Amino acid sequence: MITQLKKLLTVGALALGASFGTAHAAETVKVGILHSLSGTMAISETSLRDVLLFTFDEINAKGGVLGKKIEPVVVDGASNWPLFAEKAKQLLEQDKVAVTFGCWTSVSRKSVLPVYEKNNGLLFYPVQYEGEEESQNVAYTAEAVNQQATPAVDYYLAEGKKKFYLLGTDYVYPQTTNLVLLEYLLSKGVKLENIGGGFKKDESGKIIAAGKYTPFSHTDYQQIIAEIKQFAASGDACVISTLNGDTNVPFFKEYAAAGLTAEKCPVVSFSISEDEFRGLPAKQLVGQLGCWTYFQSINTPANKKFVADFQAWLKTTKAPGVVKEGRVTCSPMVLSYVGVYLWKAAVEKAGSFDVDKVRAAYKTGLSFDGPGGKVTTQKNMHVTKNVFIGETKADGQFKIVKSFDNVYGEPWLKGKFK
Amino acid sequence: MNFFHRARRLLALAALSLGLVSHAADSARPIIAKAALAETPAQRITLISSLIGSGDESIAPLLAAWKEDALFVFTAPDGTKIPVQLSGDKDNKDAQAAVRIDNGQPLHFVAAGPALRLVASELAAVEHTSALRRAMKAVLDLLDLSTPDLKKRISAIQTLGFAQDAEKLAALQARQKIETAPAAQLALREAIALIGLKDASTDVKLASLKELAALHTIGSADALKAALKDAEAANHPSLAAAARLALNAVDRHLTTVNFFGTLFRGLSLGSILLVVALGLAITFGLMGVINMAHGEMIAVGAYTTYVVQNIFGPGLALSPFGFSFHLPGLNTSGWLYESYFIFALPLSFLSAALVGIAMERTVIQWLYRRPLESLLATWGVSLFLQQFFRRVFGSNNVQVSSPSYLSDNWTFNDIIFGWNRVFVIGFAGLIVLGVWLVLTRTSLGLLIRAVMQNRNMASCMGVRTERVNMLTFGLGSGLAGLAGAFLSQIGNVGPSLGQSYIVDCFMTVVVGGVGNLPGTVVSAFGIGLADQSLQQILLNPVLGKITVLVAIILFLQWRPAGIFVTKSRSLEG
Repeated sequence: MITQLKKLLTVGALALGASFGTAHAAETVKVGILHSLSGTMAISETSLRDVLLFTFDEINAKGGVLGKKIEPVVVDGASNWPLFAEKAKQLLEQDKVAVTFGCWTSVSRKSVLPVYEKNNGLLFYPVQYEGEEESQNVAYTAEAVNQQATPAVDYYLAEGKKKFYLLGTDYVYPQTTNLVLLEYLLSKGVKLENIGGGFKKDESGKIIAAGKYTPFSHTDYQQIIAEIKQFAASGDACVISTLNGDTNVPFFKEYAAAGLTAEKCPVVSFSISEDEFRGLPAKQLVGQLGCWTYFQSINTPANKKFVADFQAWLKTTKAPGVVKEGRVTCSPMVLSYVGVYLWKAAVEKAGSFDVDKVRAAYKTGLSFDGPGGKVTTQKNMHVTKNVFIGETKADGQFKIVKSFDNVYGEPWLKGKFK
Repeated sequence: MNFFHRARRLLALAALSLGLVSHAADSARPIIAKAALAETPAQRITLISSLIGSGDESIAPLLAAWKEDALFVFTAPDGTKIPVQLSGDKDNKDAQAAVRIDNGQPLHFVAAGPALRLVASELAAVEHTSALRRAMKAVLDLLDLSTPDLKKRISAIQTLGFAQDAEKLAALQARQKIETAPAAQLALREAIALIGLKDASTDVKLASLKELAALHTIGSADALKAALKDAEAANHPSLAAAARLALNAVDRHLTTVNFFGTLFRGLSLGSILLVVALGLAITFGLMGVINMAHGEMIAVGAYTTYVVQNIFGPGLALSPFGFSFHLPGLNTSGWLYESYFIFALPLSFLSAALVGIAMERTVIQWLYRRPLESLLATWGVSLFLQQFFRRVFGSNNVQVSSPSYLSDNWTFNDIIFGWNRVFVIGFAGLIVLGVWLVLTRTSLGLLIRAVMQNRNMASCMGVRTERVNMLTFGLGSGLAGLAGAFLSQIGNVGPSLGQSYIVDCFMTVVVGGVGNLPGTVVSAFGIGLADQSLQQILLNPVLGKITVLVAIILFLQWRPAGIFVTKSRSLEG
């Protein structure tokens, strides 16, 4: 009798649990976050995890997406590219997430791409990249080359610069970007001998690489600086730098020590945002340029609210591992933030979390007024957005000196400029 | 022909001096005030450019203030906007006296009322774009032709020369007559010759080309190439020949500059390798400990420099392991603040030596007979220390700013001698000398050599080998700390600082010959020079580094024991 009662009770409890479980599941939608939370890339990518959690909290507080709360599934890619693919597989096949926000380096994106294509998943990618890719399973909120590199060249040309020195870290993004820039510069009438850094040609004489490249964590920039100084000796020269991460420190220290200044020969860097600036020697960088689709210093009510909300969230959040002091906002963070809202808009338009339906809705030109101004989705999975050029200041912020409105995101640029 | 030419120049000069006089009459202040209030950047640039040729003394300080965000727009209660400059001391409300830009008078609300005092942070600074700053520079360059600051004067002369604008010729020639500094004289000759390249007359062109050939400056190469192209296009053989001659002179000069530049860069890279590897030459070379934590000893030195810098500045808040505390700062400034590096050097040595001694006492002293275990154990220590840095200082890199006496350069004959590089060469020399003196001229050195040659025998002779081991390891670690203090001046300071140098350290020591200090010196300079020369020849840092590594592998196949082979019993055991 008692055992029967017990059994009944257990069954009842189980049933209750199950019904709670389903009820719970019905109210949430699982969303993946796939970033490196350890290893070399953790410094940059952790900030994206933080801003994504902030965005989810903000959306959940207003009722979620299609009435469902967002339930984040955070996995660590650990700066290990094959591991990224494994974690992506886990997110799609095990956790069955509706969408993933993630990846920083191009190589991590290339590594997870087959997984998303095979499982028909959807990945939102927020960091400036080299283009030449257009997958139906990736929404590129990132800056394409024509939303960062070519506007910077336009700015330099307007400033009367005649000589361009290309410099980058030796991997796919700088190599591809510099090839596109070479074509762009030539199309703008810049002479080949006025493009510095050297060229590599194949047997037929076609240029297959342009610019000077240094390995990751290179420390000795003496020779390159001496070359730039000779290059800039006749005036009107500038440097376009795709140097990555902390190699910027020895580069800029040597640059300043050789007597080169932003007025003599400015450097525009595509990999230094407010977030990276925290570890750089501010004094040596003042006056040098950055080019992004967002700066924290953008003076609009929307941006001020975003920055204030994020700082307020940092103070109150209980998410583990979130650094609370000295935080800033930067372009990749805002593009992550904007990505979530664009996905939300697409889901709401489609009325479903189904990837095919969401993608179809996403391609119809949805708009969102983000901290950096209006962004609009495009048919090619990229987004139209504003581009800003800023000068670095000693406090680690950028003073905006030029802006380009509503720049269309174009991934296929090679051979476009003739 | 020549006479006409001179006459023309004289006329131009006269016209310019007339211009100067007439401009000087109307003050630049109202123009700058108008520019500050202009709606668009383009209007500002036009207004500022109109100041070119004006000799008004108020221009330079006002434009300098503008560039430094020190010009403000004050909105009066009636809505009129008045550009002002704040000057004088701040009172207790942070307010300063406001001076009107348009007339240089103090700002009043009502004509007879008291002068206003304003707070900088409550006003909007007048914006400036880099295009505007270029316009300002053009104005200032002409003004700068007579500035007493030689560097500025030369830069102004060069800018005017590269622009190849015939209108500026008269001003340059006027300056040439009164210029006394030889460097500025050279710059003037170059600038005048560059402008001459655009002259209509062939004689002037030829004379200019001859002058440029004699001067063979790097900066003139582009203009010469353009001149050569023009001459070839115009089918003018004598001009083309002269241009080629001048270009060859520049090329020869470049070859010399690059040769000595490479030599200097090789020496400086060699010095850096020597500084970072010398400590390892002692702990690994002499003591036989495969010290994987050597890189972290470098990082200890670099972080010590960071802490010292902050103590000289505003202090430092740290929150390691949940405890937060604040290191008070001395809030020094100027040369006293910049002297932090002098204090950081011995402290870096000391802190790294202490960490090294602690490591020797806790881990290494049990492993002297087991080199492979020492590899694993010190690797563990290295991971531990890296994590420790992350916990204490955060996983981001920290900022160490270089003092001004390490972040400028001397340029002789176009070869750049960066002060930080000159410093490291001298620094390496001093350290090597110091280590050599310690090892050969002190009783500690005698004991170190005795223990390292034969630990057991030394012990039998009554040497306290334990103590000598500890001090030797401390010395090696301390040297790594010194290296770290210097590296903070040229590169990153972060938890993984040591990782980027550990391979170079082992490479230097192994190539030089393990256990041989002169060998380390020779190999450091050899690797440094080879690396820089290959970079210069291949023009590719990646390929240069790979070639050096391949060469080292081949070299070690040929001489496995390195450049200098040490016959030592301790290494056989």
